[in-house]
Amino acid sequence: MNKFKKRATCSPMLAVLPANAVFLALALALATPTYAQTKDPIKIGVIAEAQAVAGSSIPLAAQLAADEINAAGGVNGRKIEIVSYDNHSSAAESVRAFQRAANEDHVNAVIASYISEVVLALEPWAGRLKTVMITPGAASDVITQNIAKDYKHNKYTFHGYLTSTSIADSVCDSAKDLLVKDLKMKTAVVMSEDAAWTTPLDAEYLKCLPKIGLKVIDHIRVSPDTTDFTPIFNKIEGEKPDVIITGISHVGVQPTVQAKSQEVPIPMYGVSSQASNSSFWQDTNGAVDGVLYQAVSGPDVAVTPKTLPFVAAFKKRFGNFPSYCGYTAYDEVYYIADAIKRAGSTDPDKLVDALEKTDYVGTIGRVQFQGKDTPYPHALKIGASTITGLMLQWQNGKQVNLWPAKVANGKLKFPKFIKVGSAN
Amino acid sequence: MRSFSTARVLLFALGVIVLASFLPLGVSGYILGLLTIAYYFGVFAMSWDLLFGFAGEVNFGPTFLIGTGAYAAGILDNLYQLPIWICLVAGALAAVIGGVVLALPALRVRGPYFGLTTLVAVLMLQNFIVVAAGLTGGEIGLVVPDVISVSDTTNYEIALWFMAISGAILFSLSRSPVGLILQASGQDAVQAGALGFNVTKHKLAAFIISAFFSGLAGALMVFYLGTASVGTLVDITVGVQIIIAAVLGGRRTILGAVLGAIFLIAMSEALRPLGDLSNFVVFAIALIVVLLFPNGLLGLLTGTKENI
Amino acid sequence: MLFWQILIDGFAISSLYALGATGFALIFGVSGVLNLSHGALMVAAVVAAWAAGAHLHAGPYAGAALGVAIGFSTSLLTYFVIVRPLQHSRKIREEEKEIFILTATLLWGIMIQELIAYLYTNNAKTVAPIVEGVVWIVGVRTPSNEIFTAVVCWLVIGLLWLLVNRTRAGKAVLAASMNPRGVTLLGIELSQVYIAVWAIYGVLVGIAGVLLGMFLGVSSYSVGPLTASAFAIVVLGGLGSVSGALIAAYVVGYLETMTAYLISPAYRTIPALLLVVAVMYVRPRGLLGRR
Repeated sequence: MNKFKKRATCSPMLAVLPANAVFLALALALATPTYAQTKDPIKIGVIAEAQAVAGSSIPLAAQLAADEINAAGGVNGRKIEIVSYDNHSSAAESVRAFQRAANEDHVNAVIASYISEVVLALEPWAGRLKTVMITPGAASDVITQNIAKDYKHNKYTFHGYLTSTSIADSVCDSAKDLLVKDLKMKTAVVMSEDAAWTTPLDAEYLKCLPKIGLKVIDHIRVSPDTTDFTPIFNKIEGEKPDVIITGISHVGVQPTVQAKSQEVPIPMYGVSSQASNSSFWQDTNGAVDGVLYQAVSGPDVAVTPKTLPFVAAFKKRFGNFPSYCGYTAYDEVYYIADAIKRAGSTDPDKLVDALEKTDYVGTIGRVQFQGKDTPYPHALKIGASTITGLMLQWQNGKQVNLWPAKVANGKLKFPKFIKVGSAN
Repeated sequence: MRSFSTARVLLFALGVIVLASFLPLGVSGYILGLLTIAYYFGVFAMSWDLLFGFAGEVNFGPTFLIGTGAYAAGILDNLYQLPIWICLVAGALAAVIGGVVLALPALRVRGPYFGLTTLVAVLMLQNFIVVAAGLTGGEIGLVVPDVISVSDTTNYEIALWFMAISGAILFSLSRSPVGLILQASGQDAVQAGALGFNVTKHKLAAFIISAFFSGLAGALMVFYLGTASVGTLVDITVGVQIIIAAVLGGRRTILGAVLGAIFLIAMSEALRPLGDLSNFVVFAIALIVVLLFPNGLLGLLTGTKENI
Repeated sequence: MLFWQILIDGFAISSLYALGATGFALIFGVSGVLNLSHGALMVAAVVAAWAAGAHLHAGPYAGAALGVAIGFSTSLLTYFVIVRPLQHSRKIREEEKEIFILTATLLWGIMIQELIAYLYTNNAKTVAPIVEGVVWIVGVRTPSNEIFTAVVCWLVIGLLWLLVNRTRAGKAVLAASMNPRGVTLLGIELSQVYIAVWAIYGVLVGIAGVLLGMFLGVSSYSVGPLTASAFAIVVLGGLGSVSGALIAAYVVGYLETMTAYLISPAYRTIPALLLVVAVMYVRPRGLLGRR
């Protein structure tokens, strides 16, 4: 029975590790100086999905903006410092990072994530820890609905990207010109991934598509861990729609590549977040040719005078083009700095007041937030005078903008296997 | 021949816990937050050690029990806004039920087959969570409206004492006759059965106890973070981290599992400057320990050798 | 129409599963090792083939060759760095080696996964197909690539069969899987057999990976599910039985395809998982298992 003996001898050393942990903790605590003087830097935390293509632009673009502001003398003489955290696309890691940013690194504001679920998990923490948070890429309407429901607690959250509803409206507006007027399309199937941000997107699609004259034959929600899209495309093809209206972000490469290899003859049009990345052509070996996607920016589209210089600076420094949340993250650093300047303080409540009065022309248009008495407080204002959104298409390795007409730089065209209008 | 009695080990551990409970006086909130997570992980790893180290069952599905408890508690809170303690009890109960459901088929098979059954259970739970996105929040997470407290210190003390109590119970159990029967049946089930012990009954008991503490710890973690997600509580990677914590700390020691968990969390924090590469390095270090020091940290510190 | 569609699509995916699981079963049959880094090796092969095309501008054949080479070398690395030291370790008791090999290969798989995500992000990657275009089979528009996948899978499985049954080295492997001790009596070094098996396994994993990359594409997230599906197929077929694994691959492949077409793609893997649990409950050694 000597097998049972060995575990007994181990206990005296039990204390060693916890003791080390205590020591380590003390050492870390002492090593962290407390910032109190006014000339200390303004800290902006960036919590992002550094391993995902869309998310990886967020910290880079924020750093670029901070460096530009610092080179121009900072904010009232204070430098801007970016503290970035990788959340591995996980809500819980984001919460930990947020706690660290607020409690340990004492950041003045946080720019967080392009995933709606992550932002929704952080939103209560922004209120609990009274720290301003702006998302550069999440889309769910629930983020701003929560602010409407409990303004006092949730007012620290700002929605720096379009809500799903306004994205759907932007898709419908462009489809009215490009698909209904030009191509005489009549029917559509909505295909979107099952996620928080697509629930309001789909609801708005189902409302606005019939209004512009596209009858919705079917509405398919795809599980985000789908690997084989063949059955889905086969089902859609059997229903013979003129166009597939998409709402995909977490999935992207696989449906695009499989549509090409199966030569699905129906064009895809709508939201395909990954398609907005310049590397998407390479990721799909060119299968994205002909795919149309909604965005707020494009590499060669001069939405405002600031857009192209930003893209050029980003490309020069990091070697690739920014993803869609790169543009918004870049703008956010600027208007946070602007708000701190106007508020004359980094006090979170004063900062919220100043941010609510934001009127800043950035890379994606004119940034203004909706008021606290609207159904979507702290959401971006949408419209011809503020932000319209674009509709781009991949053509021969290039992202070409087709809509709105005044900033268009190309014409709609499809690869051979797509038969426009054949389905009637 | 035991050099230290169960009571002496527990008394000693109590001393360490009491010392640790004064940590909030001298340490920043962030470190407390890290340790809070580490303590819950410690409970996961101790529960796993009871099943594997003692009952000899290769359980790849610790996260099935954790996830069941965590999501049951989180969903209840989300749907009905019940008081947190009711959600916690319900979560622990759900995990126990999950444990029994898993144990019934799993106890019929052994070795790799048992491992696969538990692995399949995790995949099924994961699938269910993703498919029932309306209820569970799907792939990325469920947000619960309530948290136990926003104070780092309160959360820390809850996690610390919860770990202390579960550790004391699990450790005493492992050193009781029940633990010895489990260990005997883990090493040679036929012989243990021939000696007149009801192996199945004891293993089922081990499953239920393991499930209870895993589920309760999972539920507590949900009300600490304010969110439950597949990536933190259910994914196979999380299960692997729990197994690593237990193996790193030293199998069949129960208390070693806590060391393993603290070590893992401290390590991933210390390596944070490496950025995205930090996880890779943590796993590499764990692999090296597994390859070179199979008895884990406790074995390494005390110089004990496996007696073959 | 739907019937033919399920038949054709199911065949391609099942053939791919069969090829992936064959190597997994072979390793277990010969050395008793369950390699839980299986999925990671496949993903490594895909990403290598993709990177060859995307970064080195290699053609599809060169890319595929690089993918297979990476599968092959990672497999041997797994054996020499992880599996062999554990098998020879004196610090671990014999009956515990299994759990150590399982844990270590699992860790190794996650390391590969993390490294890939670090180097190339966790976005899905697809390999440029060697054959493009579509053909019509009984009214079903089928990508030529799907047919190519099935043909290559069966060619490779056929070659493996020839190797095992018709060559001296192959016969030694076969004999070792039946009776390891008996083989040593015949003067064959068991360690040589192990190396040979891991080499064969590496090639199979590389080919299966590259084909999967051309057919569906993978991301670093696919590591776990790929390992789990190979594990499930092999257990269903009976651990150690290659022919059992082949049959099980088709059972699982068709069950998944039917679920995806007839119920919903979201539920794709669930019936197959339930089947595995049910089989283990009724017949724990699998369809054709002998252990």
